[in-house]
Amino acid sequence: MSATTGVRPTKGYLMEMKRRIGFIERGTEFLKLKRDHLAKELTTSIDILKGRRSRLLEELRVAYRAVTAAYISLGPIEVQSQAKSIKSRLELEVLPRSVMGVRYPYIKVEKEPQITGELDITLSEAAEKVLSVLDDILQLAEYEARAERIADELGKTNRKVNALENTIIPSYMKVIKFIQDKLDEESLEELVRMKLIGGALARRRE
Amino acid sequence: MADLLTPEQMRALAEGESLEAFVEQLADTPYGEVPLATDGDTSVALEKVFYQKFIERMTGIVDLAPTKVGDFLLSYYYLRFEVINLKRIIRGKYSGIPTSQIVESLIPILPYKVESYEEIIAEETFQDAIRRLKGTPYESLISSLELSEKYDALWPVEIALNYLSAREIFKSLESLPKRDRGLVRRIVQAEADVENFLVAAKQRSSRESAHSPEEMFPATFGIGLDVLGEVVAADDLRAVIQGLNPPYNEILAPLYEGDVALIRSRLRQHIYNIAKRGRAEDDFGFNVVMAYLVFSEIEKNDLVGIAWGKTQGIAAEDILKYLAIPFFI
Repeated sequence: MSATTGVRPTKGYLMEMKRRIGFIERGTEFLKLKRDHLAKELTTSIDILKGRRSRLLEELRVAYRAVTAAYISLGPIEVQSQAKSIKSRLELEVLPRSVMGVRYPYIKVEKEPQITGELDITLSEAAEKVLSVLDDILQLAEYEARAERIADELGKTNRKVNALENTIIPSYMKVIKFIQDKLDEESLEELVRMKLIGGALARRRE
Repeated sequence: MADLLTPEQMRALAEGESLEAFVEQLADTPYGEVPLATDGDTSVALEKVFYQKFIERMTGIVDLAPTKVGDFLLSYYYLRFEVINLKRIIRGKYSGIPTSQIVESLIPILPYKVESYEEIIAEETFQDAIRRLKGTPYESLISSLELSEKYDALWPVEIALNYLSAREIFKSLESLPKRDRGLVRRIVQAEADVENFLVAAKQRSSRESAHSPEEMFPATFGIGLDVLGEVVAADDLRAVIQGLNPPYNEILAPLYEGDVALIRSRLRQHIYNIAKRGRAEDDFGFNVVMAYLVFSEIEKNDLVGIAWGKTQGIAAEDILKYLAIPFFI
């Protein structure tokens, strides 16, 4: 179906179309600004992720080696028995945060486990190493979720901008041109008609 | 001694490709076919199998040994295992984990100095569980409850249990002829010295709330209270450890390198050596029996470590580092 099907070629409709396209063009500009900002945010997040991920992997390797050593040294039953004796558990709260309207989870540590009192030194050292990377793990998870959602929103925004620039705005322009052409044609016809009527009236007066 | 695994066999087990290969290799040893649990934690199930095997060996020796030796060995091992079980029960009650999980964590032995583990586990709180020990040789634990409540921690109870266990072992040593006491004394003292040092080293991290050395270390042997006090106050443990006499300076060296687990494998190697030397001194008496059980217990610990490592797919060199027996190849 053509973009001009069902279009009323009236001046009122033309003005409405011009108002609409002005609004759409302003929206497109805003979306472009959003797209650029999201792209900037995504680049920053990815840069942070790259640095943190490699550092975290190394820290995790160290922590995992300590946990492995504790398990081999004490045996799994003893490790589990001691680990269960920790009364104060890790408590987290997941809160929403937003960048350019994109919501991503922010993890807040409400309470850290108190490991010093009850664990054997082997296990306590391992637990301290795991606990020391916990903040980094949570931050990394937050940045990964943030980057993922920003990338998702960036994709959507980009598709919207492309649709507006390549389909919606051209189709509106086409309608406007169609109406303007029709109106021009009508006004030309009107002019000719007026001239003919004017000529006929002049002849009758003579 | 013939049914013990050699250091080469132990190394080969640690170097096996997988858990299945480990179990297959184990089938060619006196352990025979070991069933692999299809549900639950395989390493936990294997740990129980190795404990069971050790208990069978121990009771077999007790049955054959002369009465006094047999009675001592029974009290030495049963007491140590019962102390581990009591710690696990008290920890479980302290943190409020379900009864079934506490029962699951126990070493499969019959109660020794208490009437029943189930009765203690059935108590409402950990304080009640400790009070339940009234009338048993563990009665003195009740007095540690005050400290435990003061610091809202379990360490006073665990330290009291360690002390009680060492005291009871030394008491039961009296039943042995004098010439047989040295080996056990050396083993118990080495274990207590290293454990005391590790507890003191751990206290450094919470120095503000450090407790008096007398409270923390009711029994000291080769490493005295003055050294333990130095450990708690030291910023760098290197100087304190280097100032210790051999073998402690070597056993504890991994502490300042940050590998605490290595200390326990070095301690086991040291105990293995004590037992080996003890056996060489007396090739036909108590020391042979004791050495067999010491080797057997270290073998159990190494096998538990290998089994866990294999279930987790840990590289052989990372497992071998923490084993005691392959060190003697």
